Amino acid sequence: MSSSAPASVRSRLSFPARGLAEAAVQRARLTVVPRRRSRAPKVPFVTLVSLLLLAGVVGLLLFNTSMQQAAFTTTSLEDQATTLAARQQALEDEIEELRDPQRLAEAAQRVGMVPAGPPQFLDLGTGRVVGAAEAAAGERLDLTPDTNPRPGTRRAGAGR
Amino acid sequence: MRAGFVVIAIVLSFFGARLVQLQGIDPEQYAEMAAADGTVTVVLPAQRGDILDRNGEPLADSADGLMVVADPAMTAQRAPEVAKFLSTRLAVDYFDTLERLRVEDTRFQYIARQVPASLAMEVLDEAERRAADAKEDAEEARKDKDAEARAEAEAVASAYSGLATRRDPVRVYPGRDVAANLVGFLGTPNPDGSAKPSAGFEATFNSYLAGTDGEARYQVGAGHKIPLGDNTVTEAVDGRDLRTTLDRDLQWYTQRVLRQTVRQSGGESGIAVVMDTRTGDILALADDPTYDASKPLEADKDDYNSRAMTDVYEPGSVEKVLTVGALIDAGKVTARTKLKVPGRLMRQDRPIGDWFDHGLIKLTLAGVIAKSSNIGTVLAADRFEDGQLRDYLTRFGIGQKTDIGVGGETAGILPDGSLWTSQTEDRIAFGQALSVNAVQMTAAVNAIANGGVRVDPSLVRGTATTTKGAEVGTDLTTTRRVISEDAARQTAMMMERVLDPDEGSAPAAAVPGYRVAGKTGTAQRAAEGGGYEGTTVSFAGFAPADDPRFTIYVVVQDPKSGGGGSVGGPAFAKLMSYALRRYAVPPTGTPASRLPVTWR
Repeated sequence: MSSSAPASVRSRLSFPARGLAEAAVQRARLTVVPRRRSRAPKVPFVTLVSLLLLAGVVGLLLFNTSMQQAAFTTTSLEDQATTLAARQQALEDEIEELRDPQRLAEAAQRVGMVPAGPPQFLDLGTGRVVGAAEAAAGERLDLTPDTNPRPGTRRAGAGR
Repeated sequence: MRAGFVVIAIVLSFFGARLVQLQGIDPEQYAEMAAADGTVTVVLPAQRGDILDRNGEPLADSADGLMVVADPAMTAQRAPEVAKFLSTRLAVDYFDTLERLRVEDTRFQYIARQVPASLAMEVLDEAERRAADAKEDAEEARKDKDAEARAEAEAVASAYSGLATRRDPVRVYPGRDVAANLVGFLGTPNPDGSAKPSAGFEATFNSYLAGTDGEARYQVGAGHKIPLGDNTVTEAVDGRDLRTTLDRDLQWYTQRVLRQTVRQSGGESGIAVVMDTRTGDILALADDPTYDASKPLEADKDDYNSRAMTDVYEPGSVEKVLTVGALIDAGKVTARTKLKVPGRLMRQDRPIGDWFDHGLIKLTLAGVIAKSSNIGTVLAADRFEDGQLRDYLTRFGIGQKTDIGVGGETAGILPDGSLWTSQTEDRIAFGQALSVNAVQMTAAVNAIANGGVRVDPSLVRGTATTTKGAEVGTDLTTTRRVISEDAARQTAMMMERVLDPDEGSAPAAAVPGYRVAGKTGTAQRAAEGGGYEGTTVSFAGFAPADDPRFTIYVVVQDPKSGGGGSVGGPAFAKLMSYALRRYAVPPTGTPASRLPVTWR
């Protein structure tokens, strides 16, 4: 179609005009653009890529190192936690020992305490006093432990 | 240029050959070797559950422990030095340790077991420091070319490096003998650190308490976990705590009072039970003699069990309250029923007598209980129809296990069928010719305290599963009516008369300010191989009599002197007074029972 259009134009034009058109067509004929040689510098790009690579490698290295460091810290903190837990347990055992009713009773007896006598109760609602308070009887509880048993000397129970 | 290619090709062909070797020929083995080299498997120990009292106070407690072990191949050369170090730091015997450090042909010796973790870790740190110091010395000696000093220092370093620790959990019994007969103990753990339950709850509830060990498998490098390495963890499932109904302080006090009572009366053994009347919770269950659960090996093995559960005996006159309660419920008598009680009652096989000499006396039923007359009880029990007494006693729980979670419970004997003759019935009516365990008997008396409704006794709060698979605990408590509320009230009123200073058999059991109901028992004790020898004296009671909160039962086997009133009574009074005070129970303030004990 594109080739038929100039032909039809040409056929309708008068002879003197035809020469001019020929020249115009001649001028308008396309030619290949010559390749342009890029003059952009290569160095920045290479540097950028190298830097990225380097940063990646260094970053990875740092990350690994810090992970490893964290692992060391974890291990040492875990050790510390174990030690502290053991210490806490030792202290708790000590508290339990101090709270032992036997120890408390012995300490109380050493300062002359005896089991309490019966108390009186005051009912706050009615104002009534019930019970018969009495002074502590002063009877000491025998706290001495059993001497070590003599295996076999005890008579066996008479259970049936 | 070409030569370069050839070199590269040669090098690459070496790589290729190695690749084929690694991947083509037995790759599995290499993979395994690599994995094993860096993989560590650690057992994550499950924490054993504690055994607690009703307020959460520990009766048995788990603590981290370690065992210190040695490699004699490394320690033998410098054994004296290391033994000295260990014996001072760990309180182990020097000569024994010395020997262990020198044992030949082994690379494993125990030095100390169940050392508290903090102590063991301290000692090991110190040993490591000494080994490091010695290594430095060795290095210096090497520089100085002093061969002798170097060998010396290296031997020291090796000896201290030959020590190590392993897991060895410690079970702590902070109360020592408190509830030891119920709690039991763990023996020295198995070499792998697992528990070895030896008695009591520790054995009965072992699977409930133990839990399941877990496991962690991870890769290590230079002693540290590799962050992104393989890592699988199976979490440990900790054991569950066993919460008992015991009250630690009350338990302790009960044990001391019982021990004092047994000692003073010269008895062979004793039992005391404190029970919450309304719930059936056993607040204290004491056995004497007992033992120290933290030093079980120093005790007599016979003392490990709870005699209250494993030994049965004839309850004696305490049982009369069950007979009388049943009689009233059956509508056969009342507290004021008049009885003519002769000095001796001739029965088919042999005469029945009373503990005190008397001619013909006129006692009410309340008087029979107050004075604890066997003859009066038998006369009243004659009014039962056939089989009625046995039915009632069965409903009171006599002859049946309580199943409260104590191993080795003995059910006792309630004669049956052809063994239940009229002579047997006479004796059973006043508490001989049948046998009970102490908890059974407490629960039976408690039924009277609790308005005629028997509540199952419990030792475990909530529920727990025994190793045999039985569920026990307060959540499963059932109740059943045994006698009517009126019968229970009348029986309690009669039991109050037992403590009357003039008319009763146990004035020493009184608690000032409170109405107390109780009953003495002085039974003949069945001897091994038939016949009777010695006595079983006891006292059971509850307070406040008209609104009971606690039922307490004290039993002493074979005292040198005294009966239920004089031996059991004072112990009962001390325990009841302490329990009422501890739980702030006010007196009811109502007038005491004045039921007549005699009639004209």
